Amino acid sequence: MKMQININPRLRLSPLVMVLLALMGIAFVVAMIRYINGIGAISNLSYSYPWGFWISFDLFTGVAIGSGAFVMAAAVYIFELKEFRPLLKPSVLTGFLGYTMVVIALLVDLGHPERIWYMMIHWNHTSVLLEIGICVMSYLTVLAIEFSPVFFEGIQWKKTAHFIHKFIMPFVILGVVLSTLHQSSLGSLLLIQPAKLYPLWWTPILPVLFFISAVSIGLAMIIFESTVSARYFHRGLESHLLEKLGRAVPIVLAIYLIVRFTQLTLANDLQYLFNSGLMSILFWAEIILGSVIPLVLFSIKKIRQSPNGLLVSAIVLLIGMILDRFDVSWFAVRHPDPLTFIPSLMQFNAHYIPSLPELSISIGIFSAGILAFGLIAKYLPLFEEEDGHHTASH
Amino acid sequence: MTDIKNIKHKAFLYDATRCIDCRACMIACSVENKIPMDKTRIWVAGVGLKGEYPNLDRASMVYHCMHCEEPDCMSACPVGAYSKREDGPVLYNKDVCIGCRYCMNACPFGVPHFDYNKGLIDGAFIDKCTMCTQRIDVGLEPACVATCPTEALVFGERADLIKEAHARIAAHPDRYIDHVYGETENGGTSYLILSHVPFSELGLPPLTSKPVKEVSEAVMGLTIPFALTWGAVLTGVTVGVHEYNKRKENAAKQTVEAEKESEDAK
Repeated sequence: MKMQININPRLRLSPLVMVLLALMGIAFVVAMIRYINGIGAISNLSYSYPWGFWISFDLFTGVAIGSGAFVMAAAVYIFELKEFRPLLKPSVLTGFLGYTMVVIALLVDLGHPERIWYMMIHWNHTSVLLEIGICVMSYLTVLAIEFSPVFFEGIQWKKTAHFIHKFIMPFVILGVVLSTLHQSSLGSLLLIQPAKLYPLWWTPILPVLFFISAVSIGLAMIIFESTVSARYFHRGLESHLLEKLGRAVPIVLAIYLIVRFTQLTLANDLQYLFNSGLMSILFWAEIILGSVIPLVLFSIKKIRQSPNGLLVSAIVLLIGMILDRFDVSWFAVRHPDPLTFIPSLMQFNAHYIPSLPELSISIGIFSAGILAFGLIAKYLPLFEEEDGHHTASH
Repeated sequence: MTDIKNIKHKAFLYDATRCIDCRACMIACSVENKIPMDKTRIWVAGVGLKGEYPNLDRASMVYHCMHCEEPDCMSACPVGAYSKREDGPVLYNKDVCIGCRYCMNACPFGVPHFDYNKGLIDGAFIDKCTMCTQRIDVGLEPACVATCPTEALVFGERADLIKEAHARIAAHPDRYIDHVYGETENGGTSYLILSHVPFSELGLPPLTSKPVKEVSEAVMGLTIPFALTWGAVLTGVTVGVHEYNKRKENAAKQTVEAEKESEDAK
């Protein structure tokens, strides 16, 4: 008797998957300790630093790197730049997973995670955080709808996929509106701290700056994730599309730089540019890495045409812009510690360095995101076009 | 003196020149409000000794909630856990709090404190001064005021206390800095402070008469109009682009057909 045993090679656990699973396991155990003994048991958050690494990384960075989804949705559906279709699905998925990770992180960071839905029934309309909460919850739903055709195609429910596709436009527009709102509102979150956030960052137009930089982060993320996933899954790379996408980056960054420096000039904050010690260094680091270098790199056609050039340029931009998110939400926020305030000894004596368990939570959630992306990329038609276009042609 | 119950706008006046740093207020507060030993709603910051012998000087500052007229915590809280009672106290409702700690970021005085050492079962909440509502509602002074041996803390009608503060400055201009902190700071507070050393040395932030929440609330007010406008613009662009592309396609088709026709005619 001939017996055929098919072992699906995709089910084998590669070392990378094992590492990701282990990191997720550590995060899970740490989260349990937090739920039993409190946030103080695993983190270095304090009275002066109520927000720390989780907010800077999981919320500010997580939302920012999810911006590729609305940039691509706007390009493909609203401006009908149909050639970019192959990039749409992966970026919507990144957005969906990114925002899911934000919510999971908040379930650890909130003092009362079981009450997260209170944001839907108790509304304080002056709260920026409420707006972000409502937007993120709604946008997560919109992203799920935008991504659902891929899922239904994957399970061969073509009619359902087609049906959803027919009615996608209102959701796309809603998604872009929600994204504009909460990407900018993350900046507004700091508006209530004019006395705490350093003047190089605090400005009433912080939401505008956040929105413009979110667009540049979105473009860079699409380039980054397409290039990396193309390598990992050994599939064709949409080089010509990424090259075109790269052309938009210098324009966005130029607008960002103009707005930012005009604001600093008008607010008379140029005086802080060079004499503020660490603050000046952080400012120039984020401007040079996030805006100046990528502006130059993405302007050079040769670099845009080389996959490695694109990847490196995107990574530099991402590092600089993520540094900006960390600056605004953490590094540039001066926290007096009123409980032990001894002004004659030191002006601001509060310190915060995230603890290892605190970091492990973020790392674990991030690992889960990577694993989920990998699984979905393997089992769902993420990189194929429904009308059979070969993505790596040209 | 009017009954405390009937004071329309209750407030504290703290006089740093009268404080002897005995910290009886801290004990009184913890006993009255049953605060565990490792926590406090009121704290005394010592500035330490200043000057050289024999001209030594020291100052201390009693902190608790400033009970702002325009509370920033209340503006920031997403679920509306904070409220400002008409007669003064800023109150916190733990039944709706989700534990986001945005109020701690918003408060320029660092007043709200969070239970970092409590898990899901105990319930981690914000804690802050309540102006001893349980006492003032039955005509008693807040515990910290009632226990203060030197009348460094007094309690009464806000307008009267502002007058009293200015009267003290006028009586001893050499003793005080000519300013009542909290009269206008952050839109006015219900905790007024007199001092003989600069207020910054007491750890009080330099604030304007505009509450820190002002810009944040102005921007929030734009949200709905902006969302509606932006939605309309995007819908317009979508329809416009679609029509434009359609026409372009049709025009292209027509030219192709016309070319074909002309070729056929030849």
